[in-house]
Amino acid sequence: MRMIYLDHAAATPVAAKVLEAMQPYFLDEFFNPSAAYLPAKKVNADYEAAKGEIAHAIGAKGNDIVITAGATEANNLAFTSISENAKVLYLKTEHDSVRNPASRFKHEEVEVDQNGRIVINDLKQKIDDDTELVSVALANNELGTIQPLAEIATLIRAIRIERLKNGNTRQLLLHTDASQAMNLLDINVARLGVDLLTLNAAKVYGPKGVGALYVAHDVRLKPLTLGGGQENGLRSGTQNVPGVIGFATALKLAKEHLNGNRKKYAEFRKILLDEVKDYELINKKHALDNFVVLCFDGLDAERLIYLLEDREVYVSTGAACAASKGVRSHVLTAIGLTDSKINGSLRITLGETNTKEQVHEAARIINEVVASEKARIHA
Amino acid sequence: MPKVFVGMSGGVDSSVAALLLKEQGYDVTGVYMKNWSKDLPGMKCPWADDLADAKRVAVKLGIDFEVWDFEKEYHEKVVEYMLSEFKKGNTPNPDVMCNQEIKFKLFFEKAMGRGADFIATGHYARVASPSRLLRAVDENKDQTYFLYRISEEAIAHTLFPVGEMLKPDVKKLAKEHGLHNAYKKESMGVCFVGEVGMKDFLKEYIDIKPGEIREIESEKVLGVHEGAVFYTIGQRHGLYLSGVAGEVNDGLPYYVVAKDLEKNIVYVSKNLNDSHIWTKELKLKDVLMRGEAKDVLVRLRHRAPLIKATFDGETLHFQNEIKRPAAGQSAVIYDGEICLGGGIIA
Repeated sequence: MRMIYLDHAAATPVAAKVLEAMQPYFLDEFFNPSAAYLPAKKVNADYEAAKGEIAHAIGAKGNDIVITAGATEANNLAFTSISENAKVLYLKTEHDSVRNPASRFKHEEVEVDQNGRIVINDLKQKIDDDTELVSVALANNELGTIQPLAEIATLIRAIRIERLKNGNTRQLLLHTDASQAMNLLDINVARLGVDLLTLNAAKVYGPKGVGALYVAHDVRLKPLTLGGGQENGLRSGTQNVPGVIGFATALKLAKEHLNGNRKKYAEFRKILLDEVKDYELINKKHALDNFVVLCFDGLDAERLIYLLEDREVYVSTGAACAASKGVRSHVLTAIGLTDSKINGSLRITLGETNTKEQVHEAARIINEVVASEKARIHA
Repeated sequence: MPKVFVGMSGGVDSSVAALLLKEQGYDVTGVYMKNWSKDLPGMKCPWADDLADAKRVAVKLGIDFEVWDFEKEYHEKVVEYMLSEFKKGNTPNPDVMCNQEIKFKLFFEKAMGRGADFIATGHYARVASPSRLLRAVDENKDQTYFLYRISEEAIAHTLFPVGEMLKPDVKKLAKEHGLHNAYKKESMGVCFVGEVGMKDFLKEYIDIKPGEIREIESEKVLGVHEGAVFYTIGQRHGLYLSGVAGEVNDGLPYYVVAKDLEKNIVYVSKNLNDSHIWTKELKLKDVLMRGEAKDVLVRLRHRAPLIKATFDGETLHFQNEIKRPAAGQSAVIYDGEICLGGGIIA
């Protein structure tokens, strides 16, 4: 393959082993898992086993997760846990699939520092007696910033105890979207201390349109779709068997690759930082190793994308969905970047398709493209 | 190097216009005019994709590129005009208004303020020195019908690089230069209304008020409609008539021949010879002429054939009866290949 794909936060190719695991369930094992005859029962058993594996990968049980059609739906479903008059808090840098469902409630945004990390004191101040949900992505989708979830969970637990002492029985839940983190962090719901956790197959070399929401035992959700009562009544509709089989396989592979990935991407990241010229690194601290956000202040990153595209190098500015709406990234704004720096920022996200040679080559091509843009401007 | 700002829509015509200007040695800046970005039910506004297409071409050509936001002005000058005309029972042409008020006025003025020698667009039209608007070489694509109301000052400072070319050659050139949008589907109809159609667009802005459909000769009620404003004189399509009891349906289509906006009645007829449909003269309002001529050629719709007529400054007189265009549409007047101007059909 000649192309150099550096946008793994937007999409990942389905791994060969994942596709292989899914294939039988499109063909011979096509039965509706709810049907009465034995071959269908077998499909149902395989489905439940796969769900068990997905849950196991995050330290939960099969019954604790609801399969959805991707992370957006899982995030929306998480917001059904709260009552109508409740307040929700979310990090200023959250994805639209959190910000938009949150906007239907009383809501406030929690500040981040210049590295994109949560300002814990701001969270503390903003949690009031009506707050029922706090949503903080484990790793941000534009910067890769990893949030101190356990620390947030400790604060939330303390507030819960405080509330009970005061006779306030209102729930206070912690939700995290872990979509971007699965390739590099070992995710365990108990260790993170979360009540709700979103997963996404499409970011771990699994199929698109498959996700899951982990739901702690004492959390009550309301279904977004009604019908035959699948997924414990929380998501009706015939189960996406091949999708879930593929998801389970993908998560298993992600676990296996975890340690190797960290080392590999740290090395790749260093190559880029050493070999690309005249940039400012935006995600300096606390970032996933496969996220490299480079700012070429004074240049227009969108132009760089098109020039790189011409050389078959694919990168992005911010989130794909934000770019297609033509709005400036709210994430880069939140960490205090000037408009000029936001316009000059490129997001590179490394992944399985990359080799060390490709990373060297990418650095070289980026330098050429940046030089040509500078030459054009000064001509 | 003369400085030119070229309006780039993301389509192949304006992309090739930019390409030609670059090759001719102009100092070119591409500009995407953001006039409308609102999604309509059932139709996502493609502005962001169009902008990306335009920008990708600009980057490929190595020219500067900017986005100029005219959304507020477009709404005031084009959308509100259009809605008020519809409410009066007319059938306006918003593209004519967009060229008059936005592209060849606001865009033109802003470009001149930025030190431009010229503006350029991807329209199929030509300019003859100093300020004459001519039909395009490609008669099949000529767009002067939409441009007849632009000012002489704007014409004198406008370049239409593809106006000398045939459309297939424009596409070929785009392909030869590796422009990704060489085969992009052409936008049809009013840009922001797109494929949902004018009726669905109007429903967003004008209240639905059901009324009667009557046969004009008999005054018989034939059916109901969702609002007289949604119908255009001469329209055949989309009349949901219930049959009249006791009558044999001869299968002939009905045409809208008149509207009574006050009573919200739409009148229809099967009689293709109905006097409402045919006329030998058209009275114009808001006439705008860049020259005088008595014996002229007239175009009553984009790409419609040119018809011989005489013009007395107010009324067009035709030798033979013509099918009457809806009030609010434009009659564009030519002297040979020169587009002299025109007016709005009263």
